[in-house]
Amino acid sequence: MPTTNRSLVRSTVILLTTGFVALVAIVAAAFWLGVRSQVHFDEVIAARDARTATVALRHSLEVAESSQRGYLLTGDGHYLKDYGPTHDLIPSQYESAAQLLSSYPQANQELARLKMAIDQKLSEMDQTIALKKAGRDTDALALVKSDKGEALMEEAQRFFSAVIDIANDRMAASAADQQRSARWLRWVSIIAALVIILVVGSSILTVFRYTRELAKARDEVSALNRDLEERVEERTADLAKANEEIQRFAYIVTHDLRAPLVNIMGFTSELEASIGSVQALIGKSVDNDDPVLEEAKLAAMEDLPEAIGFIRASTHKMDGLINAILKLSREGRRVLRPERVDLAEVLDVAAAAVQHQLNDAGGSIEFNVNVPSMWTDRLSLEQIFGNLLDNGVKYRSKERPLHIIVRARQESGDRIAIEIADNGRGIAEQDRERVFEPFRRSGAQDQPGEGIGLAYVRTVVRNLGGDITMTSSLGKGTSFHVTVPRHLANIGSIAA
Amino acid sequence: MSEDFKPVTIIMIEDDEGHARLIEKNVRRAGVNNKIIPFTNGTDALAFLFGKDGSGNESAARHLLILLDLNLPDMTGVDILARIKNNVHLKRSPVVVLTTTDDAREIQRCYDLGANVYITKPVNYEGFANAIRQLGLFFSVIQVPETA
Repeated sequence: MPTTNRSLVRSTVILLTTGFVALVAIVAAAFWLGVRSQVHFDEVIAARDARTATVALRHSLEVAESSQRGYLLTGDGHYLKDYGPTHDLIPSQYESAAQLLSSYPQANQELARLKMAIDQKLSEMDQTIALKKAGRDTDALALVKSDKGEALMEEAQRFFSAVIDIANDRMAASAADQQRSARWLRWVSIIAALVIILVVGSSILTVFRYTRELAKARDEVSALNRDLEERVEERTADLAKANEEIQRFAYIVTHDLRAPLVNIMGFTSELEASIGSVQALIGKSVDNDDPVLEEAKLAAMEDLPEAIGFIRASTHKMDGLINAILKLSREGRRVLRPERVDLAEVLDVAAAAVQHQLNDAGGSIEFNVNVPSMWTDRLSLEQIFGNLLDNGVKYRSKERPLHIIVRARQESGDRIAIEIADNGRGIAEQDRERVFEPFRRSGAQDQPGEGIGLAYVRTVVRNLGGDITMTSSLGKGTSFHVTVPRHLANIGSIAA
Repeated sequence: MSEDFKPVTIIMIEDDEGHARLIEKNVRRAGVNNKIIPFTNGTDALAFLFGKDGSGNESAARHLLILLDLNLPDMTGVDILARIKNNVHLKRSPVVVLTTTDDAREIQRCYDLGANVYITKPVNYEGFANAIRQLGLFFSVIQVPETA
C-alpha cells in the first residue's frame, strides 16, 4: 500500500507521541524513585538513630549495673567511678531514645514501662549502693538476691532487643523497598527504552519506505513522461505523414484535374475557331427562306457562341479553384526556413503593402507590438499578416473609416499571440468556421477572389505550429487571434 | 538536301490523346511537317525506342526528337528520361519534357537526368498554343544529331 501523505503524518504523530510518553515515563519513574529513595534513606537514618540511642541506653544501664555489682562485691569505691556519670546520663539518654521512638506508636506503652523499669532499676541500684556504703552489706545483698533488679534489667533488655529488632526490620524493609523501587525503575527504563527503540525503528522504517515510494513514484512519473513523449513523437510523425499524404493527394489530384482542363480549353478554342468559318459561310448565304438554313444560322450565330462562352467561363473558374488548391497544397509542402525575425518589422511590411488602399479608404492602422524577436519562417509570417490585413481592408464597413489595431504579446509556453482587430463589416455567426474552409466566403460577394485567403492563412499558421481563431460581431468588426511558437524548432517536424 | 540526310522524326509520348492532338495541331501550324509518331503509354514508346531486346540498336542512325509527358499511366516519364539518357544510342537525342507538373524539384530532377528542355503546359489555351507553336519554331531550327 503506498504511503499517502495523510497516513505518513498520522503514523509520524503516533510514533512521536509514543516516544514522548515513554520518555515521560522514564523521567517520572526516575523522579519517583528519587523521592522514594529520600524517604527510605530518612527512614533508615531514623531507624539507625533509634537503634543507636537504644544501644547507648542499654550500654549505660549495663555499665551502671556492672559498676554497682562490682562495688557490692568488693566494696571498692573504685568501681563506682563510672556509676555516677552514667547514672546521670541515663535519663537524658532515655529522653532522646524516647523522642526518636515517638514515630513507633506501638512503642509508647513499652516506653512507659521501660521508663518505670529504668527508674526502678536506678533506684534499686542507688538503694543497694547506699546500703553498702552504710555498711549494711547483708541488706544490700538481700536486695540484690531478691532478683527484683534482675527482673527489671531483663524487662529493659527485652525492650531493647525488641526496639533493636524493630529498627533492624525497618532498615531491612527500607532497603528492600529501595531495591524494589530500583527494580521498578529498571523495568520501566527497559520497557521505555524498548518502546523508544521501537518508535525510532518504525520511524526510520516509515521514512525509508516513504522515501523509497517517493523514488519509485518519481521513476514511474519519469517513465510515463518518457512514454508520453514517445507517444507524442509517434503521433506527431503519424500526423506529419498523414498531412504529407493529404498534401501529396491534393497535389496529384490538382495536376490530374489540370490535364483534362487543358483539353476542354484547347478544343473549346478550336471549336471557336471553327465556328468562325461556319459563321462566315452562313453569312455569305443569301437564301433566307430555307428553314434549315435559318436554324443553322441561329445555332452558329447565337447558341454555339453562348455555349462556348459558358464552357470558357466554367473552365476558367475551375482553373482558378485548382490553382487555389495547388497553392494550398504547395504551401503545406514548402520547406520552412527558420531565421531570426522581428515581428514588428514583418507587420510593418504587411501594413505597407495595404497602405495605398488604406489611404484611399481613409483608414488608419495602429500597432501595439512589444515582443522579443522570434526564430521562425519569415515568409510564412509575411503571408499570414499580408492576407489578414488585406482581408481587413477588403471587407471594411462602408459606414465608417477603417481602423485596424494590431496587438502582439508574449504568452506562456514561449508563444507569441497576435491580434488583428478591425471595425469592418464583421462575420455572421454561422460563417465563423466556414470562412476558414477553402472556397467559402461570407457576406456580400463584392470582392474578387476564390475564397481561399483564410484557408491559406490557417494552413500557414498551422505549419508554423500555431493556430488561428476569430471573434466577430456582425456589422461591428472582426478580430483574428494568431498564436505561434516563438521558436519554430520547438514544434518538431510536422511541417517537413 | 544531301542524299543521306534523314528528316528528324518527332516521338511524342503523351497519354492524353486530346493533348497529343492539340500539340500536333499547333506544331503543324508552326510549319513543322516532320513525321510525328505518337505513343500513349510508356511501354509502347520504350519498345519502339529500344527494340525488343532493349538495347536501343534499332534506334541507331535514327534522327529523333522526343516529346515526353511525365504523367503516364504505366510508368513515370522520369524513368523513360533516365533510360534514354543512359543509352549509348539515344543519349544525344534531344528530349523535351512537356508536362503539367510545375514542381520545382521535379524540374530540377529532369534537368539533372539530362532533359534538354522542360516546358510546363499552360492551362489557358492561348498560352498552351503559343508555347507549342514556339516549340515548333524551335524544332524547325534545331540540329538533331544522328543517333550513333
